[in-house]
Amino acid sequence: MGIETPDNGSYMVAAYVVVCVVVVGYALSLWRRSRQ
Amino acid sequence: MIPTLDDAHATIRRGLLITALALAGVGAVIVMALWMTPTEVRQGLAQKIFYLHAPSAWAGLLAFSLTGITGGLYLWLRDPRLDLFSEASAEVGLVFGVIVLTTGPIWGKPIWGTWWTWDARLTLTLFLFFLFVGYMALRNALSDPAERARFSAVVGILGLLLVPFVHLSVYMFRTLHPQPVLLKPSAPSMDPRMLRTLLTSVGVFTLLYIGFVTTRYGLSLRREARGVADGD
Repeated sequence: MGIETPDNGSYMVAAYVVVCVVVVGYALSLWRRSRQ
Repeated sequence: MIPTLDDAHATIRRGLLITALALAGVGAVIVMALWMTPTEVRQGLAQKIFYLHAPSAWAGLLAFSLTGITGGLYLWLRDPRLDLFSEASAEVGLVFGVIVLTTGPIWGKPIWGTWWTWDARLTLTLFLFFLFVGYMALRNALSDPAERARFSAVVGILGLLLVPFVHLSVYMFRTLHPQPVLLKPSAPSMDPRMLRTLLTSVGVFTLLYIGFVTTRYGLSLRREARGVADGD
């Protein structure tokens, strides 16, 4: 009997989206502040 | 000692360039993690959160450590640029803290069956985050630059003292959180492809920290050069 890999890809997608939103969002915030 | 506007703008430009390179690196890490790294059999795809969660934690602890170190150096040397760097590093550390404290529960739910548990690692990480939220609030509350720098340096040093406890908490207390796979006395214990992705991600997030903190430091330099008391 092999190990059944759990189906939890949606959690991975959520985490990756959060990381992208935070790092790109902060980078844009710095860029906007640099233009002021 | 007082930076010129040209110095500040050069620092900002350098920081934004490094940030752009690091963001491209984050994209590369995501491609590596999704398509070039095997799926862990027991945890499934949720384990791939690790490749962003752990490097973010590293970058956050680096940021908070450097906030405390430069704060201590400020108390010794009284160079206002050290205080400006502390401020920049604390803000960037909070950004990585947000990532750690959101991706952690998202990873924990499918693996542990709960979003949050009050064990030592998680609780100390949350305390460290709140401590630096307080650090930023303190900075905003004080108008005298010398007083602000002195008080916030002390808080930054207290945060620095908490960092080793965060790292060692998985050894010191019973915890659900996995033990370190890189920063430990013995050799890394991972599949080589997983290790390659993790090391790449640690490098990219370190570069992202450098890009963020350089830009943010440049903004503070510019504020000082313009002679503005507070706010960017």
